[in-house]
Amino acid sequence: MFNLSSLVQKAQQFIDPTLSQTTPSTDRRPSKSTLFRHQFRLPDTQNPLQEITAELTLSSHHSTRSSSDHPDDEERGRGNRYVGKLHLSEQFLCFSTQGSSFLNTASLSSSSAFTGQTHGAGPAGNGFTLPLCAIRRVERLHSQSYMFALAITTWNGFGEQSKKEGGQKLTIQLAGSRQQCERFCDRLKKGLREGIKEVENLRAVASQCYSEYLLANDPKKKEEDRKQESKREAPDTGLGMIFRYPGNPRKLRDGTKMRLWREYLNENGRNATLIRQPTFHKLIRVGLPNRLRGEMWELTSGSFFLRLQKPNQYAETLAKHEGRNSLAIEEIEKDLNRSLPEYPGFQSEEGIGRLRRVLTAYSWTDEEVGYCQAMNIVVAALLIYMSEAQAFSLLSVLCDRLLPGYYSQTMYGTLLDQRVFESLVEKTMPILWDHLVKSDVQLSVVSLPWFLSLYINSMPLIFAFRVLDVFFLEGPKVLFQIGLAILRINGEELLDASDDGTFISVLKSYFARLDESAHPKSENPKLRAVTRFQELMVTAFREFAGITQNTISEQRAKHKDAVLENIENFAKRTSIRNLGPDSKRLSTNDLGFMYDRFYGVLYERQQRAQMFQQEADRRAKASGTKATRIATDALHNNSVEMGRVAVGPSPTQMDYDAFREFLAGITRWAVSDSPSSPQDANAEKQNYSYFGNSMRNRSVALSPWGAGPEPADHEFMQRLFRRWDVNMNHALSLQDVVTGFAQVKGTKDIMSNISYFFELYDDDGDGKVDREGILRISEALLFLSRRGLENVPSTSASLNSLQQKESTDNVGGGRENRDEQILSSISAFIRRCFEYADPDHAINQTDNSSNKLIDTTEKAVDAFSIGDDEDEDDLLSFSSTPSSPKPTDPANPTQTTGAPLQMQPPPSTPLTPKPDKHTANAALDPTKPLYITLPTFRMLILADETLESFFESAFANSFRLADGPSSAPSTTNLTTFANVNAPSRAAAAQALSLPQDAAGVAGPGGKGLRGMLDNIVSDGMRVAAEVRRRMEEAQREMDRAAQQGASYDEDDEEERGRRIGRVGNEVVEFER
Amino acid sequence: MADSTGAAAPKPSSSVKLVLLGEAAVGKSSLVMRFVNNDFQENKEPTIGAAFLTQKCNLPTRTIKFEIWDTAGQERFASLAPMYYRNAQAALVVYDITKASSLTKAQHWVAELQRQASPGIVIALVGNKLDLANAGGAGESEDDADGVPDEEGDSDARKVPTKTAKAYADEESLLFFETSAKTGMNVAEVFTAIANAIPETQLKGPRGVGGQTTLGSGGQQQDASRVNLAGAGTAGAKEGCAC
Repeated sequence: MFNLSSLVQKAQQFIDPTLSQTTPSTDRRPSKSTLFRHQFRLPDTQNPLQEITAELTLSSHHSTRSSSDHPDDEERGRGNRYVGKLHLSEQFLCFSTQGSSFLNTASLSSSSAFTGQTHGAGPAGNGFTLPLCAIRRVERLHSQSYMFALAITTWNGFGEQSKKEGGQKLTIQLAGSRQQCERFCDRLKKGLREGIKEVENLRAVASQCYSEYLLANDPKKKEEDRKQESKREAPDTGLGMIFRYPGNPRKLRDGTKMRLWREYLNENGRNATLIRQPTFHKLIRVGLPNRLRGEMWELTSGSFFLRLQKPNQYAETLAKHEGRNSLAIEEIEKDLNRSLPEYPGFQSEEGIGRLRRVLTAYSWTDEEVGYCQAMNIVVAALLIYMSEAQAFSLLSVLCDRLLPGYYSQTMYGTLLDQRVFESLVEKTMPILWDHLVKSDVQLSVVSLPWFLSLYINSMPLIFAFRVLDVFFLEGPKVLFQIGLAILRINGEELLDASDDGTFISVLKSYFARLDESAHPKSENPKLRAVTRFQELMVTAFREFAGITQNTISEQRAKHKDAVLENIENFAKRTSIRNLGPDSKRLSTNDLGFMYDRFYGVLYERQQRAQMFQQEADRRAKASGTKATRIATDALHNNSVEMGRVAVGPSPTQMDYDAFREFLAGITRWAVSDSPSSPQDANAEKQNYSYFGNSMRNRSVALSPWGAGPEPADHEFMQRLFRRWDVNMNHALSLQDVVTGFAQVKGTKDIMSNISYFFELYDDDGDGKVDREGILRISEALLFLSRRGLENVPSTSASLNSLQQKESTDNVGGGRENRDEQILSSISAFIRRCFEYADPDHAINQTDNSSNKLIDTTEKAVDAFSIGDDEDEDDLLSFSSTPSSPKPTDPANPTQTTGAPLQMQPPPSTPLTPKPDKHTANAALDPTKPLYITLPTFRMLILADETLESFFESAFANSFRLADGPSSAPSTTNLTTFANVNAPSRAAAAQALSLPQDAAGVAGPGGKGLRGMLDNIVSDGMRVAAEVRRRMEEAQREMDRAAQQGASYDEDDEEERGRRIGRVGNEVVEFER
Repeated sequence: MADSTGAAAPKPSSSVKLVLLGEAAVGKSSLVMRFVNNDFQENKEPTIGAAFLTQKCNLPTRTIKFEIWDTAGQERFASLAPMYYRNAQAALVVYDITKASSLTKAQHWVAELQRQASPGIVIALVGNKLDLANAGGAGESEDDADGVPDEEGDSDARKVPTKTAKAYADEESLLFFETSAKTGMNVAEVFTAIANAIPETQLKGPRGVGGQTTLGSGGQQQDASRVNLAGAGTAGAKEGCAC
């Protein structure tokens, strides 16, 4: 069976050839820019532009004020020095002591994120992440000549206070060649100029930070200053302000923590200008104070920088989608009342309102994720400490970066991390792992909620928030470290548990007693004071310090394929099983094939669209519209791997173009004969001008159909699409396609197949198909059979003998004979259609006219499918009348049918209306509407063996599913045109020199039967189109005549009938 | 997690893994809450992944300890379900009688279980929120022996006729109940019926002997349990549950 993932991989290789070279795994190595952004938690718009080794010196005034509080910290008096790397991006200046190199010029192997142990500092290490707009001035210091030093002054606090204090100063010495340093500074200068634009944003965002408020109300300040500043209202720090923060503030030592933070912020800057020193990380480890918690989460996770770029995104998103509904919103509503219901804030309309707005706004910004249960719990927890806008951007960071794929449609990230967790348990606690395996306990039934709701649902809130504090600083590895520590601490009890139930209850009671002493019986009062939670933190970060982000990345890469494949198999299995009763008419293999093909096409199209988009982006970028792109799509993580069903977000609906591509992969007739690729775009178009009516104007960009064959676009396909599109939303789901196929392929009953086809053309559903419809049916039959029919049973004696006879003559003769057979069957069908059609007006049913009708239509239709060059000449002459809407181009010299070039319309042929016999060509007379009914149609089909077999099996068999070739059919089949090879061209040239009458006769001899048949087929199609066009013209004439009150167009009809009749005779001759 | 019947007679006791499946907000968690705590909470915290609860059920001849996995109903959690129904001996597939689409989803789950879960798994189809249907309750049995209400009233929130669901359940040999977690109606009966429908040989010991779950005899057991199902609905209701 065709495997989707292999297809997907193939597609990926096609799209990005470098992928296939790296590893067979679908996991691609993150780009340098990604690593850079992840280390400093920067928005996706940022790229590493410059980097240089540097030494950061924090000037002594940093610590002067607090030196009394930290007498032990002597180092501070002299100013702290840090050696690290200074990086510059478009909007940020970052410094970190964690060694890393992201420079574009570095090779992939030499660029690396710091993924080793961070000793609590998180990936960004000690240093700073300064938005350029937060830098007030940069001075080149005149020190020793060999030193290149910069003094940076930041906007430390806006307004009066900042002016008075002169902001915060830091000194950086760049270590590099003078040239390097100059380059860095040039780029920095440019960035600073750009940064001025962002100052207003910074002012707005900073004013919402509690740190600003906190420092403005410094109790150490003079009384009048405080009065002045304290007029400001405290910024929104979450529901806790109204409904109290969880836990006992005294027990949490909130006051002490706040004091320490005030000191730290005073010395090291606040919000945008904060400098990370070791104390910073220590203060986070012991738990953030309630009112600063939200802000610090924002800063450490990087969501602050998102908000800085788009301060109003939250409000704008809400406003933009106000009043709209969606599935996500319905799901959100269901859960609003059950998100942390134990917290008083969420028993109130206020809290629930906030939760609703944040979840809804996010569901609009990322509709692929929408809403996933557990997000409500996480957001509810965030909202206790943060404003709505803060929670909104933090949720973006969570979904895009910290918990990739956790809340996606397939939750592949969750499943993957569970697998990773299991493998880590196996590695670090082999005995426990063996026990789990032996007692058949599945670890993820326990650990999945831990990860999915960040322990918020598992531990008492106050402890879960402590975990979150560290999680935002240090990243996803924290979840694993805590999880491992939980198992390690409870290891012995867990070894006694032998089923899910006991396992769960052990852990449940452990979580319930986290606040108790870890060593209640210890003599040592200090040891006795250690709570179980503290023990957990120590175990997690000391004993499992070896679990780094790098470990997690490696494990993820290792297990990704297996996890994705599992999900894909599950999705496929479920999807196929849920296709409803119609699907039972198809084999499981067929369904599986169809599933793969359906999503394969959608996936490939998506990838191509993405490629085009990137190409367009690239061009837009090149043409200098870069500035507008900055700050766009910050929420969209472009590095997210798209397309695999399991990774989602994949489309599930197929539009008409996708449907064409889908069909082209499983039928021969849906492959275009005239690919629009430039090299053979010469003659084909002409030859199939017949398709020109329905061919849409399509810009031929770089191969819009990918590697596959270009699909045809025929009216029949449109009808099929409309018929299958039961919901009338111009898109097909897999269900629609399967139901559609079940109707076509799932029945062996010829009668229902015939009715199905008839209904396709019975537009108004009144059981009648009019003249137009009859023509369209014939066109469709020609279209479907133009590459020959499949599995035409050769039971028919005549056909059999014919085939035998032919096969002795030349190879492939049977084939050609069959083609001929089809042609004559279809022409006979058209003839009979008109013969047995019911006139729509009682007036027409006079004996006289009906006789004539039959007579003339017979002739007319003889000419229909088998026209020779002369006939074409005549027909085409009509097209040169000025009223023709879509004139074909008769003079195209590249026509290989050997059409003579002398195509001057004979003087008598233009539509010179002459009042004459009215009924002469009633079949084509628009004033005489006629129709066939289903029984008539059925009779006509059954009257012909070829058509009968077409409806009995060939049509259904033309769709090749599981049993057929898995790839798109090769185009080596008899395409009516592609086979015109050199000899036949020569023959055509020869024919050109022959007298007109001889051309048709000379054809067979000169070109060989194959070439001739090709011509016949194409001619037939052309004739059908011509007749159609002439009818339209006649209709127009009619209308005009009706206006003039004259009836002189009948003569034209007669004339036409005569002409067609003549042509018909010639054809008959030719056939003999 | 109240083992309220801890003081039961020393009857043979065995544990049964039961999984609840169904669309979101059809009342799976409420059913379990009613069964385990005899309690109904209007606003239940949503289930993340799955909640685990246990409850004992006393039958005349034995005690069954249900280990209940109450799974999340949101569509995207479906891919996690195999984790929970693995090795399950019984499944409660729940739909909401006031929401037609939830029955379709339930049918998908039944199909999934029949193909992927352990053979012989006892499946009960449960239409919840009976309290929202006017025609429910006492009138039902008088109208029709099969418990089919005659006509749905205009003000009735019911969207899934009992007849439809019952016919489907019969066709697939499922136990079938309509319940109300809110009023408690039929809730205990469902679990008792399941307990009765599980053949003795399928039961594993109270603890630790899990390995002996019938592997080889799975196919035969299936038949046995199916036979059992037919009469289980009525039989179970009489015996009642200890809780």
